[in-house]
Amino acid sequence: MDVSDGALQLLALLQRDARLLDFLMEDVSPYSDEQVGAAVRNIHEGSRSTLQRYLSLQPVIDGVEGAVTQLTAAGPLKNDPGAIKLLGNVPADGNVKAGVLRHKGWKVEKIELPAYPAKANLKILAPAEIEVA
Amino acid sequence: MVIGIDLGTTNSALAFGEAESVQAFPVEQVVQPNEVRAEPLLPSFIYLSGPNEITSLPWEESPKFTVGALARRRGAETMGRLVSSAKSWLNYSNQVQLPIHSPDGVEKITPVDASKAFLEHLAAAWEHAGNEPISEYDVVLTVPASFDAVARQLTERAAREAGIKKLVLLEEPQAAFYAWIAKHPDWRERVGPGDRILIIDIGGGTTDFTLIDVKDHAGSLALERVAVGDHILLGGDNMDLALARHVEAKLPKLDAQQLQALWQQCRAAKEALLDPHSTVTEQPVTILGRGSSLIGGTIKSKLTKQEVETILVEGFFPHVPLDEEPVRAKRSALQEMSLPYASDARITAHLAHFVKQGGAPPTHILFNGGVLQAGLVRDRILTSLNLWLQKPVKVLDGEDLMLAVARGAAYFGLARQGKGIRIRGGIPRTYYVGIEDSMPAVPGMPAPMKAFTIVPFGMEEGASHRFPNRKFGLYVGEPVEFRIFSSTERRGDDAGELLEPMPGDLKELPAMEMTLAPTATTPGGLVPVTLESHVTETGVLELFCVAASGDRWKLEFSVRERKA
Repeated sequence: MDVSDGALQLLALLQRDARLLDFLMEDVSPYSDEQVGAAVRNIHEGSRSTLQRYLSLQPVIDGVEGAVTQLTAAGPLKNDPGAIKLLGNVPADGNVKAGVLRHKGWKVEKIELPAYPAKANLKILAPAEIEVA
Repeated sequence: MVIGIDLGTTNSALAFGEAESVQAFPVEQVVQPNEVRAEPLLPSFIYLSGPNEITSLPWEESPKFTVGALARRRGAETMGRLVSSAKSWLNYSNQVQLPIHSPDGVEKITPVDASKAFLEHLAAAWEHAGNEPISEYDVVLTVPASFDAVARQLTERAAREAGIKKLVLLEEPQAAFYAWIAKHPDWRERVGPGDRILIIDIGGGTTDFTLIDVKDHAGSLALERVAVGDHILLGGDNMDLALARHVEAKLPKLDAQQLQALWQQCRAAKEALLDPHSTVTEQPVTILGRGSSLIGGTIKSKLTKQEVETILVEGFFPHVPLDEEPVRAKRSALQEMSLPYASDARITAHLAHFVKQGGAPPTHILFNGGVLQAGLVRDRILTSLNLWLQKPVKVLDGEDLMLAVARGAAYFGLARQGKGIRIRGGIPRTYYVGIEDSMPAVPGMPAPMKAFTIVPFGMEEGASHRFPNRKFGLYVGEPVEFRIFSSTERRGDDAGELLEPMPGDLKELPAMEMTLAPTATTPGGLVPVTLESHVTETGVLELFCVAASGDRWKLEFSVRERKA
């Protein structure tokens, strides 16, 4: 098992269920907002349900953006250096109790990816498709 | 504990009941390559996989083919490998090999094989979840009320081959009604003696009508199923297809894959627009471009609520007078082998025909099937009925329309064990043996036939009829064939009644045949026999030839093709 296995698998799932890679890899500059928008709704829906199926995503701080929030709202993650990014007038010692919540953050609660056969080549994110007459 | 199984045309489900309560059982199945997940329903699709396409199930490392969600998905991408609507074939041809059109080398299966495969899958998922094998349980398996004797017998056979030992067949509309009874413990206050309940079941591919009477039996309420309609191959899929065709006409030419995508999109748009809680008046229908040119190739259209309502109403639920007959197309001589899909898409016309020949008008209505989730459909059916009838019908509010049949079957199983109410039914058809007139044969003309009634309408499970006054001379060792006919509409013919000439609207089933095997008392020669008809506890028809000595020979339905 390689450390990048999960990443490859997730990309493959997002492509399979939502065609996210097709969308990201396409050059969108020639198209109008309306054209892009029409396709994107589809891809948004597919990507979202795929994410929700295989991961459980939760905010780091489940609060109201724009409201004054205590750092303790992050719960056990409060002391995790990656959990809270301080913006604005940050004191020298970094010791802050509260501030205005600008982004709730995202964390993964549970991740359940389907099992794949041992000899699968995970670098193949999507097979080429050939239609037989 | 009892198990209820709904072996649906489009989706199958399993529910189990214990003490007073019934629960649905989510079924593990392959949903994507290398991905197994439990889903509430098992799509009734089989994909005949290629050598590199097998995904293991928790209970079977190399399944012979794919059953369920992935089968449906993958089957839509390929041609000639998908077995769908196998159940409907049981009522039309048991010997057809499915899929009809397949590339060479694909190992086809019969409709009975398919039903057996679904039941085996459900049984394996059940056992894998930590339960006893299915042979240990009382199983109630549902069949459409419109299934004739052959289709029921084949269903029974598939069940036994799948390992189910303690089996009872129950008609689907009755199961839906049991689910309603279970949901309303005060049901005796909602319906009373003299009430007639019309059950309308519209699924993905089929439409079924049933009438159940509420009677007084020595002071307590009894229920009796009095009429069923024909097995009409018309349902939600036809509606989605009509919408897809409508949108297709506005778009540049689509290929087969895009049409599939369009169909799915239209179905989703229809559900969103007809949802009683929704306020949107139009839904985008978007087909993403093929290959890597996703946005560049995107085709965008939309469906408005107005369009959906118009297409469904005009095509499927127009208001028709009560004496409207559904259009029956003449079958052309040269016809591709396929299921006899309804020629007339107007469900209201089929309903008018059923209500008219049902006699007394219904007083209540129970809806079942996914299609009836849409308020528009219910409203159109109700307004049609109320146009035809003197008194408006009352609506019995139904249970979860997708799982009601499986749950109702489980409730019925519990009722059988306890003292719950049972719906009396009996055979919902009249069966006849065809007897050739003993007039001299005229070359080129088939001999005129008479119909001899061997099973009167409503004959109860476990009952028998003997016909001592009609003798047939058969020879030991020679094959014998009796042509069998049935009717869902002729309800007054008594056992032993002879109809001459044979009415034109009887439907022919496969013949029943056998070869008279010699016995100790009947070693050879000509044997005068009489007929005896019997209906088993599971509602399956049996026919015997009985000699004066008491020897009996059982006839079996022929495995040859049915006559068109």
